[in-house]
Amino acid sequence: MEAASISHAGAHDHGADHHGPPAANRSSRAEPQLLGMLLFIISEIMVFGAFFTAYFFIRVAQGAPWPAHGTTLPVGVAGFNTAILVSSSFTIHWAEQSIKRGNRFGLKAGMLLTFLLGCSFLFIQINEYANIGFAPQDAAQQTIFYSLTGLHGAHVFIGLLLLLFVTIRSFRGHYSPEEHRGVEVPGIYWHFVDIMWLVVYFTVYIL
Amino acid sequence: MLNPLRSEGEAFRFLLYALAVIVALIVLVLAARAIF
Repeated sequence: MEAASISHAGAHDHGADHHGPPAANRSSRAEPQLLGMLLFIISEIMVFGAFFTAYFFIRVAQGAPWPAHGTTLPVGVAGFNTAILVSSSFTIHWAEQSIKRGNRFGLKAGMLLTFLLGCSFLFIQINEYANIGFAPQDAAQQTIFYSLTGLHGAHVFIGLLLLLFVTIRSFRGHYSPEEHRGVEVPGIYWHFVDIMWLVVYFTVYIL
Repeated sequence: MLNPLRSEGEAFRFLLYALAVIVALIVLVLAARAIF
């Protein structure tokens, strides 16, 4: 009680000299960057959850055939694309482990490879849209197909922007074994995008 | 306990577990379709 009173009095005294908004509270258990990514990814899971709800509503509640009659989904091409995206998680992990050990070549090569693999994934997906033979407005199943894969594609695009920044910074000599948060946080995001694609691929193309 | 949001390394390990689960599910679904 006494300690709390002293602490409170101290804070009050400090506040008398303080100008502007109060200092933000900081958790002693989580770093702000990781806490921000945690909250962001939780919100992202909820967004994807809304789209998956629509997907299961159409398939389970309405009992609609999947895919719609007269259409086929390119399971093989999407599987190849899945392999590309999974590979990109390995390369960004290599980049992160490299900079932790002070290996700058590994960082640069890993980031460049990750960026190129991500670009390849997006290019193949756009090519798939161009050749798939149906449009989003054709049926509810097609709407959900484009919504789920498109939502994920948008996340890949955002991830590619982050990867581009990290790649440019790594070529400019940024990051060190002591300070590599700029690689770690986009890395967590990229793995999240990859895991989400595995779920999308299984539900949309396989199930 | 594994926390995929604590570090990139743990997120990568979580991805590997997720990959193993998805591959097992794909094998199960394809086997079920072949049998039934």
